[in-house]
Amino acid sequence: MNFSYRIAYVFWRNMVSYKRFVLTTFLASLIQPLFYLITFGIGMGAYIGYFGGKPYLYFLVPGVLITSVMMTASFECMYGTFVKMVHEKLYDSLIATPVSAEDAVAGDIAWGAFRGLVSGGMMMIVAIFMGILPVSLVSVLLLVLLMVFVGILFSSLAMIVTSFAPNFDFFNYYSELVITPMLFFSGVFFPLDKFPGWMKTLSLFMPLTHAVAISRAIFLGTYTRGLFFNFLVIFVLEVAAFLIGVKLMKKRLIK
Amino acid sequence: METIITARKLCKKYGKFKAVDRISFEIMEGECFGFLGPNGAGKTSTVRMIHCVSPLTSGTLTVQGMDAHVDNRAVKQNTGVIPQEITLDNDLTVRENLRVFAHFFDIPRAEAKKRIDELLKFVELEKKRDSKIDQLSTGMKRRLLVARALLNQPKIIIADEPTTGLDPQARHLIWQRLRQLKSQGVTLILTTQYMEEAQQLCDRIVIMHQGRILKAGMPARLIEEEIGREVTEIRASADQDDMLLAALGPLAIGHERVGDSLYFYCRDGRPLMKKVLELDLPDTVHRPATLEDVFLKLTGRSLIE
Repeated sequence: MNFSYRIAYVFWRNMVSYKRFVLTTFLASLIQPLFYLITFGIGMGAYIGYFGGKPYLYFLVPGVLITSVMMTASFECMYGTFVKMVHEKLYDSLIATPVSAEDAVAGDIAWGAFRGLVSGGMMMIVAIFMGILPVSLVSVLLLVLLMVFVGILFSSLAMIVTSFAPNFDFFNYYSELVITPMLFFSGVFFPLDKFPGWMKTLSLFMPLTHAVAISRAIFLGTYTRGLFFNFLVIFVLEVAAFLIGVKLMKKRLIK
Repeated sequence: METIITARKLCKKYGKFKAVDRISFEIMEGECFGFLGPNGAGKTSTVRMIHCVSPLTSGTLTVQGMDAHVDNRAVKQNTGVIPQEITLDNDLTVRENLRVFAHFFDIPRAEAKKRIDELLKFVELEKKRDSKIDQLSTGMKRRLLVARALLNQPKIIIADEPTTGLDPQARHLIWQRLRQLKSQGVTLILTTQYMEEAQQLCDRIVIMHQGRILKAGMPARLIEEEIGREVTEIRASADQDDMLLAALGPLAIGHERVGDSLYFYCRDGRPLMKKVLELDLPDTVHRPATLEDVFLKLTGRSLIE
């Protein structure tokens, strides 16, 4: 593994190109969360009413926040990276400079995490405008850190998929078989405790479950000892996914 | 002149396929060195190892006294690469492309700005500085690739088929710029399948085929040694061969039959031409020998796929 400060240059390259899309992605990041919040939060929330002593939206927002980080980071490191690698051959010209393959991939993972943060951040702003506030200012800062942390995780996982994707269609498998199930089995929209035992066990293998649990605890300020386990799972998975993702991508880039 | 690149028994395998098969060569500082060969000869694989983006399978390769291996950032810092494919950043403008690349080489902002202005002038793209990449013609894109390869003021420039797909004007402009760089003392490494390009630019060449070096030397010397000075092509069916060879064979130093043509290679073509006129052969071309003849003689005139 050959990392250097040039990771920042790769990140910066993405920033320069992003300028042109910033408005459209801001709008896109706004519309999706608004749909979630309005349909589930207000529509369904009206039937559910209070939920653990607070309106349903307080349950929903921290979950959807992390989901939108997951979606954006994953798609950036699948479609975005694939276009740069295969269609534009951008990586080929990057690694002909003092930037190493590891720098290039890590730079893109960092970028995916940043894009995730933008999406999650927009979501949080919308929620705040709707009056659904995190419990304190410290919570807001911790949520920002969590979003970056979770963004790196899902960017790295997506990088692994990208490293052996022959074409765009391949990404459908990952989003249909991994991303979508996580959306429904990770306690984003409703608590998992009414699930049968095997489903609960299954959900423990989904990184989103742990990320949502942490996000919700921070949002509501209800910390428990179980959170340490959630954090540990994500941390271990994140380090492993990052190293494997970089390694596999390097193998694809350098022949 | 000092040696700047040395390769000894260099090998490159992709799985079981041997792209480069135990080749050895030396490149001198300040010369233009050409790798010639048909598609799949191993030219690109060789230069990719030189600029440290592809690991060696075996053998040794020294660039500027350093071991060439993937991750050798020092070699990459001093090398400029004009790639075969157009690998520009489509999301960025012409100037942004260069600015982002200047970053990768740790060139300070003010210095980068100065170099970018100079380079855009050098490749005649000043007017396009704020254009998007998809608004450029292929020739302009290639010129921008040249400018990008020069940002770090490299000591070695690797041009991998730099004029493929260009019209004559654009091709000549690129040749002029490459010659200009050579006159400034830069070492130029060129891969090409255009023999004219090699003759225009290269001091020394190697002809590669199926991963091996078939011949090495100065272009003019190679032509002289392999072909002679002049070539006479006679379009005639193969059943006339006996008659033609009996009449013309003794006047040439070699001959070859390919498809509908019989080629005669000569040092001095006048006696042979006199005979051709005597025989009154209608469909005949007499011309100077070129590198293309050497190339085709060595790699075969049939299609290589």
